[in-house]
Amino acid sequence: MLITVQDINHSFLIGRKGKESNVPVLKNISFSVKQGEIVSIVGRSGSGKSTLLHILAGFLKPDSGEIVVKDTVTSVFNEQQSAQFRLENYGFIFQNFQLMPGLTAFENVELPLKLKGMNRHQRKDKVQQLMKHVGLQSVQDHYPNELSGGQQQRVSIARALITDPPIIFADEPTGSLDSETEQEVLELIQTLNDTRDITFVIITHDDEVAQRADRMYRMHDGILTEEGVPNAV
Amino acid sequence: MQFKDQIDFIRQHIKKNKLRVFMTVLAATMGTAFLIVLASVGFGIHDTMRSLMLENRLVTQIEVYSDDLGAEEAEEMKGIDHVKAVVMHQGANAMQQASLGKYTTHGNLLVTDFKEEAKVGFALAEGRLPESTYEVVVGNGFAESLIDESAAEKLAEALPEGSEEEPEIPSYKGELIGKTFTYQLGDYGTGELYDDKTELTIVGVAKKPSKDWLVDNKIYADAALIPELEKIYKQDKKEEVTDPLFSSMLYVYADVLENVKSVTSELKDQGYNVYSISEELDQIDVFFLALKAGLVFVGTIAILISSIGIFNTMTMAVTERTREIGVMKAIGAQPKLIQRLFLMESAWIGVVGTVLAIIISYAVSLVSNWLLPIIVGAAIGEEDFAELNVTFSVIPWQLVVIASAISLTVAIVSGWRPARKATRIDVIDALRREL
Ligand SMILES: Nc1ncnc2c1ncn2[C@@H]1O[C@H](COP(=O)(O)OP(=O)(O)OP(=O)(O)O)[C@@H](O)[C@H]1O
Ligand SMILES: [Mg+2]
Repeated sequence: MLITVQDINHSFLIGRKGKESNVPVLKNISFSVKQGEIVSIVGRSGSGKSTLLHILAGFLKPDSGEIVVKDTVTSVFNEQQSAQFRLENYGFIFQNFQLMPGLTAFENVELPLKLKGMNRHQRKDKVQQLMKHVGLQSVQDHYPNELSGGQQQRVSIARALITDPPIIFADEPTGSLDSETEQEVLELIQTLNDTRDITFVIITHDDEVAQRADRMYRMHDGILTEEGVPNAV
Repeated sequence: MQFKDQIDFIRQHIKKNKLRVFMTVLAATMGTAFLIVLASVGFGIHDTMRSLMLENRLVTQIEVYSDDLGAEEAEEMKGIDHVKAVVMHQGANAMQQASLGKYTTHGNLLVTDFKEEAKVGFALAEGRLPESTYEVVVGNGFAESLIDESAAEKLAEALPEGSEEEPEIPSYKGELIGKTFTYQLGDYGTGELYDDKTELTIVGVAKKPSKDWLVDNKIYADAALIPELEKIYKQDKKEEVTDPLFSSMLYVYADVLENVKSVTSELKDQGYNVYSISEELDQIDVFFLALKAGLVFVGTIAILISSIGIFNTMTMAVTERTREIGVMKAIGAQPKLIQRLFLMESAWIGVVGTVLAIIISYAVSLVSNWLLPIIVGAAIGEEDFAELNVTFSVIPWQLVVIASAISLTVAIVSGWRPARKATRIDVIDALRREL
């Protein structure tokens, strides 16, 4: 197993100081993801999907439970270890792209390599190659606000891919796109999964999107259950 | 992240906020320049005071007072470290007169040690050193001090009443070497000279003293003359003689000014009463040290005020970039790196501000040293004020170092909290923000 999640519980404290109440958001979540799979997590707004992803990514610590990724227990990491692990193993795709407004498409894709300390020469080749691969060559010098939503999402996918991570987490990757662009992006994800053997964990509220995954989980009020998908292998 | 990329990153941010960063740098520059220029006045006046003090003085000379100073003590002092020479001067405590023909002077006889004197710059302009008891060397101003009194009186009488004109004093113009003059002791109380005369022969003339304004009209003699004069003194003096005719004074010379202090304190430890320039310099130095510290303190306040600007700018930068910082952290940037990037940015502001401040300060210092003497001179109506060599502002490298250290420290410290704030940004919160 690439990712194993065991009995994750999480609750948020809400309300004013002194009168807080504890709201459980994730309840005994257990699931696993195999190497090379596309797994989707679908659920209604507020069901706790994003919270689960944040815990997987290490942005948030679960109240209890254990996460094992690549035989490493990541749920006990401190901030530094968590950041390092993300840099080496995860790519992220967000609903609103989260590109750096001050950087060009090319520079946005280059950023994770900079963080890794790769030198300028190697970076340039690698980014150029990938930009070509995802069809962004013509817009590589554009700033994010000069790009369409679909192009922006491609840039953010390229940024997630550039470090060749084994796992990419995507939170509503098609949430801000029209249905045609959505198809393009989903196809791109499919291709990358096929050609590069990258494991995807996709979070969505859209059953249609979710059903294109290899396996699909449904989140309902903090409880996760697996469901069958039509194109299951 | 490679250092080069970090620099790139910072440059990009600065470029994006040019005006804001410029204003912050300007404030930092003004604060630091204010400190340097302010303190430079302390350094300038200190330097001026020191040079005024040292100008008219044999700076390495230490005067030693004590009741019974003799050759033995002098010998001992020569053994102290950094002592170049010890000269014993013995002078007569009585009225004295030297006369050469119709010319007279109240020349002072000075018994000295020519060998030691030579070590501290005493040299002859002509002639030779005394070889026998009655041979003497005279100062280069001796001839000029020999005046024909009666001729001078006549000249003065000849002048019309109330005339401003000063008559040329009829002084001795002839050759000195080989001449023999009459030396007489006298009584200060009655103003009368004793009868016994001593004939002294001039064998040499001392070189002009190094300071222009010194007039050397002394008669330098060897110690052998002392007993002869003592004899005359005892015979001729009416009252009971208690004090000896000659009293002595020791001058110890250090090799360089820097060592005057150590020699002075060594002599003090040995129980002598001592006076040297180091005493006065010490007082001045202490005073100016306090003054400079005060000025630096006031200047530091200006820098602190400018640091508010840095704090503000950096806090704004962090707030503005919260989402970007969140994305960086999500991608895997270490909190340490985020902190470093922001600290580097505030340090950059500090460095640029300091460099500009140093350049500006030197310029201001240069201009004020050129302009202020002219203005002050004109204001007090003294044209040669400028020639007094008053330095208003001096910026030694120590001041530059101190100011830079203060300015950079303040810049980094004021960038510290914003940088810490940046590292604490919550990824989830940041990602939730709209663009
Ligand atoms: N920081 C927080 N403090 C308190 N409650 C929170 C916090 N973050 C999330 N929640 C709550 O946890 C629940 C799950 O939120 P989450 O963002 O995981 O939902 P979601 O499934 O991603 O919804 P959506 O599809 O709208 O993105 C929500 O009820 C939300 O109000
Ligand atoms: Mg969500």
